[in-house]
Amino acid sequence: MSAEASAAGGPIGAVQGVSVRTVDLVAGYDSRPVLHGVSIAVDPGEVVSIVGANGSGKSTLLKGIVGIVEVLSGSVFVGDTEVTGWRPDRIARMGVGYVPQVDDVFAPLTVRENLEMGGYLLKSREVAANIERVLSVFPQLGRMLGRRAGKLSGGERKMLAMGRALVVRPGLVVLDEPTANLAPAVARSVLQEHVSSLASTGASVLIVEQRAKAVLEISDRTYVLAGGQLRMEGTPSELAVSAEFVDSFLGGTGGAAREGREDTTTD
Amino acid sequence: MVYYITTLLVYGGVDAIACLGLSQQFGIAGVTNFGFIIFQAAGAYTAGVLSLPSDSANGGFQSYIGGLSLPFPLPWIGAAIVGGLLAIPFTAIVGKRLRGDFAAVGLLVTAVMFNLLVNNYVPLLNGAAGLSLVPSPLQSAINPYSSGYQWGYSAAAVILAFVTYRFLRRITNSPYGRTLRAMRDNDVVADSLGKNLRDLRTSSLVIGGAIAGLSGGILVGFINLWDPQAWGYAETIVLFAAVIIGGLGNHRGAVLGAILVPLSFEEATRYIPSIPNEPGLVPALQWVVIGVLIVTFLWFRPQGILPERRRVILGDRASAGGEVAGEALAPAATSASGESSTARAGVEVISATIGDPREPMAIDGRRPPFTADVILDCEGLSKSFDGVQAVDDVSMSFLRGKLTGIIGPNGAGKSTVLAILAGTLVPTAGRIHFRGEDITGLPAYRRARLGLVRTFQLASEFKRLTVMENLMAAVPDQRGETFRGAFLGRRYWGAQERDARDRAAMMLERFGLSALGDRYAGDLSGGQRRLVEIMRALMAEPEALLLDEPMAGVHPRLAHQIGMQLVALCESGITVIMVEHELSIMDEFCDPVIVMAEGRVLAEGDMAALRSNAEVVDAYLVG
Amino acid sequence: MNVLATSLFVESIGFGLITASVLAIAAVGFTLQFAVTNVLNLAYGAVMIVAAYVGYVVNQAGVSVWIGALAAIAAGALLSLLLNSCVYRPFQRRGAPPVSLVIVSLGMLLILEFGTQAWAGPTNVSYSMNQGATLTLGSIVLTVAQIAIIAISVVVMGLVHVLIRYTRLGKAMRATAANRDLARNCGIQTDRVVTTTWLVSGALCGLAGAVFAMNSGTFGATSTDLFLVLILAAVFLGGPGQPYGAMLGALVIGVATEVSASIVVADYKDVIAFIILLAMLVVRPNGLLGARA
Repeated sequence: MSAEASAAGGPIGAVQGVSVRTVDLVAGYDSRPVLHGVSIAVDPGEVVSIVGANGSGKSTLLKGIVGIVEVLSGSVFVGDTEVTGWRPDRIARMGVGYVPQVDDVFAPLTVRENLEMGGYLLKSREVAANIERVLSVFPQLGRMLGRRAGKLSGGERKMLAMGRALVVRPGLVVLDEPTANLAPAVARSVLQEHVSSLASTGASVLIVEQRAKAVLEISDRTYVLAGGQLRMEGTPSELAVSAEFVDSFLGGTGGAAREGREDTTTD
Repeated sequence: MVYYITTLLVYGGVDAIACLGLSQQFGIAGVTNFGFIIFQAAGAYTAGVLSLPSDSANGGFQSYIGGLSLPFPLPWIGAAIVGGLLAIPFTAIVGKRLRGDFAAVGLLVTAVMFNLLVNNYVPLLNGAAGLSLVPSPLQSAINPYSSGYQWGYSAAAVILAFVTYRFLRRITNSPYGRTLRAMRDNDVVADSLGKNLRDLRTSSLVIGGAIAGLSGGILVGFINLWDPQAWGYAETIVLFAAVIIGGLGNHRGAVLGAILVPLSFEEATRYIPSIPNEPGLVPALQWVVIGVLIVTFLWFRPQGILPERRRVILGDRASAGGEVAGEALAPAATSASGESSTARAGVEVISATIGDPREPMAIDGRRPPFTADVILDCEGLSKSFDGVQAVDDVSMSFLRGKLTGIIGPNGAGKSTVLAILAGTLVPTAGRIHFRGEDITGLPAYRRARLGLVRTFQLASEFKRLTVMENLMAAVPDQRGETFRGAFLGRRYWGAQERDARDRAAMMLERFGLSALGDRYAGDLSGGQRRLVEIMRALMAEPEALLLDEPMAGVHPRLAHQIGMQLVALCESGITVIMVEHELSIMDEFCDPVIVMAEGRVLAEGDMAALRSNAEVVDAYLVG
Repeated sequence: MNVLATSLFVESIGFGLITASVLAIAAVGFTLQFAVTNVLNLAYGAVMIVAAYVGYVVNQAGVSVWIGALAAIAAGALLSLLLNSCVYRPFQRRGAPPVSLVIVSLGMLLILEFGTQAWAGPTNVSYSMNQGATLTLGSIVLTVAQIAIIAISVVVMGLVHVLIRYTRLGKAMRATAANRDLARNCGIQTDRVVTTTWLVSGALCGLAGAVFAMNSGTFGATSTDLFLVLILAAVFLGGPGQPYGAMLGALVIGVATEVSASIVVADYKDVIAFIILLAMLVVRPNGLLGARA
């Protein structure tokens, strides 16, 4: 965690960070693999990012971890428990919070109701207190509790999506391209303030991003994915000086074959 | 005995005609018309009131409109005409972008409402009692009860059924039929290729309605009465069951379904003895059986007994094509080292079979040549969805004959801009000009006809058309594509169709997919479908081509080949605008390149210049 | 309007309240099924009538119709649950498009409705019940039984409101209807929620069938055919999938049809419902309370 992040550490109280790792994960859609044997690990309390060009399999990796996409072979562990093939709601109950890239809020419900849904797994007497804690991390949400989530701006929605995931005080938060569809300034604040706040609670954070440079600034470690396989791994300082790293983004060879490329989401 | 057979034949003929009409609407054109029975009823009523004397006659115990005592065959002709005309207001429900199931429910409800109205408003069509004593055709000349007359009537019914069958086959096995099926498979794409969906749906409804009306006219002349009980919503369900069981999209299947369902059920009751104390039991069980048949067929064999035929166009020519480019595109189980050996071998073959890209593609001479520099431009384009600004005050101009690339991160609005330019989406603000004309208000199909054609990001092939049919469907200005053209037959549209076929075959060879010409497009691999889409867009003879991520899911070597083809296109005068993620493609082929981010244009130039633009690099390339 | 017409008008409002009460129970059930499953269950009216017959059988055994209504509720719940688990869900898992599901639901309509007719015979039956004294409030004339039905409806609407707004299940239902994948990520077991919703909505369907039969005097297997159209009108007026919309729609359609009966000939009273339904489909398919299409 960067120094600024721990200094900004919120009053949400300490959460027991949970580890996650995958072992040779092969996952895809309709039995066609997009990931070809990926092994990553996130230690408790770490902020780990996954970057790579479009279609490299980043989203599929996350979806394989939270149970949305079919795992064809390999395994996923949350803590010491193997969760391979578990249903998404069961994995959620292990303390895994997921912020998807699209359809990330309950659009017809209000901001408050969204947060309440986030607290579904809590005992009813805890919900209000937890929501208060989340509101202290994201105070702007407190000013729009009665607004319909579908009417929020891009940055506000993403904040709500993260807040919703936080209500249960998850040990692991998984974020899929949180800054997609956001203006650069908002994206910067989302990563540097909001995601850092998540990390400051003690939760482990696994984040997929296209804005590699920006997310590197808040990560403890980073993986680079290309063509459904792990290409590089290291700390931000190691990667920033690596020519290969810069190269893998500015196009050119593209590396391994692009067969079975994942569907890129529409603009 | 004679009466039994002749009755069977007449009912069989009438049911066959009705099912053919429904099959055309539902199976071919994809219109789920749950109000179908209304057209048959309208036809029967029309034939009735046209042939009956005025309602004061016959003791005056009936009241109805009309009563013109018209001689045969006018009542039958009238029946068909009214059936067809009645279809026109129905297009209001079917035409709009309403969810399929909502539209179906709307039509079903309309059928129930008409039944209610006719049932209760006596002066119209004698209400619940219905019309009786309807004269049989020619009954003043021949005794309707004589066996000669009965046989004659049966012959007429069967002959008309046969005529209907041949008529529908003629118009379905034509470019018009192909276009209807394309619309059924994917109406948005058909629209973007220049097909007028509203006219197509209207013509389908009118034809189906006229056929249904005719069937009603024939029936009422035989049984001499007609009341609302004969055409409740349940009767429509029977016809749907018949068409589903017989086979959707297959005219022989419709006839088979007519024999198996409405006819057999009528006859079955004759043989199953009526249970003494329960007079209504057998009819009620009949309905239960029909319900069971519908559900089980939709589960076990949704295509019906006689499924829609695959139209083989290339035949032997296809198998001579040898190796297929597409096979190499199918994702092989790659090892960690990257390309597998099969992929590499396939790559060699691709280079051999793809035609020399330097051969120019012909531009047709349909439109006067456009010579100004800027062929397409937009200014102040904006689009918001539910408060999110997807496109914000975007202005771009595209030079004729250039290969322009549009890049940007996810959410930049690239695909949205493309959709607005093509006419698939309506902007909240801004204007668009093409070939010097303001096209902002034009719907997508009109823009396609002007020469502005797009492709789609996600799978958009016509799944139940073969690859050849997909390509041929895109040819613009086909004579055989209107109902009139189809009716005039092969002599009218045959030559043009052969040209289209040859063009499509050449296109397939150029891209190395000749062996797949007669396969259903829906059965192809992802990369192959992508190629079909590009080829199809080219068949539409565009002047400006809008490509939405054409290289997605395509092998890098093939992507390179496609890029070369696109460059060749530009050299022959076609303008290509391409949204892509693959920066290597931009490097090699596109100049200029426009960068978008967060709904706005960020910069424009060639890739080298953009890479040195710090803002661009920051926002997009490395975050 | 002369005095007689005015009092007819007011009296028809009274009838309208009764129709609206029955309609509200039915429409809320229907719209809940659509909300969580995205299926227009056209066999809904048939399930209602089956439940009505179950109540009839119990009633014939000498039990009060009000107890029989409990049997109807149970029958409706069970039958609806089976309908979804054994028919709709398998088809949906296969990827059947919404239009196919409508045709399937029509098939189930035939099976249930005419299966009932095969069993019950073509003659109509009626509940043996004491309608109670007739009470008059101004021009509004209602029997005690009818007032009881209105009261039941109001109570049920209140219970539905409490369920949706204040219970855990209600929250899960709203989340599942709004965004099924996200609901799972919140830890909600959406499959169970869907099953429970069909049980609850099925219970409403059964209850609607019972009170429909009580209010109709005589009924037969095909009696709910036209009523289904009223249900659809109420649902689409309020917005498919919107429970409060269904309540609003039921009130409007119920009163409108009865009031129109006092103005136009009674035979055509349902036409106004048809017109409203078609108008909503063409102009605003998401209903008054739904988002703009």
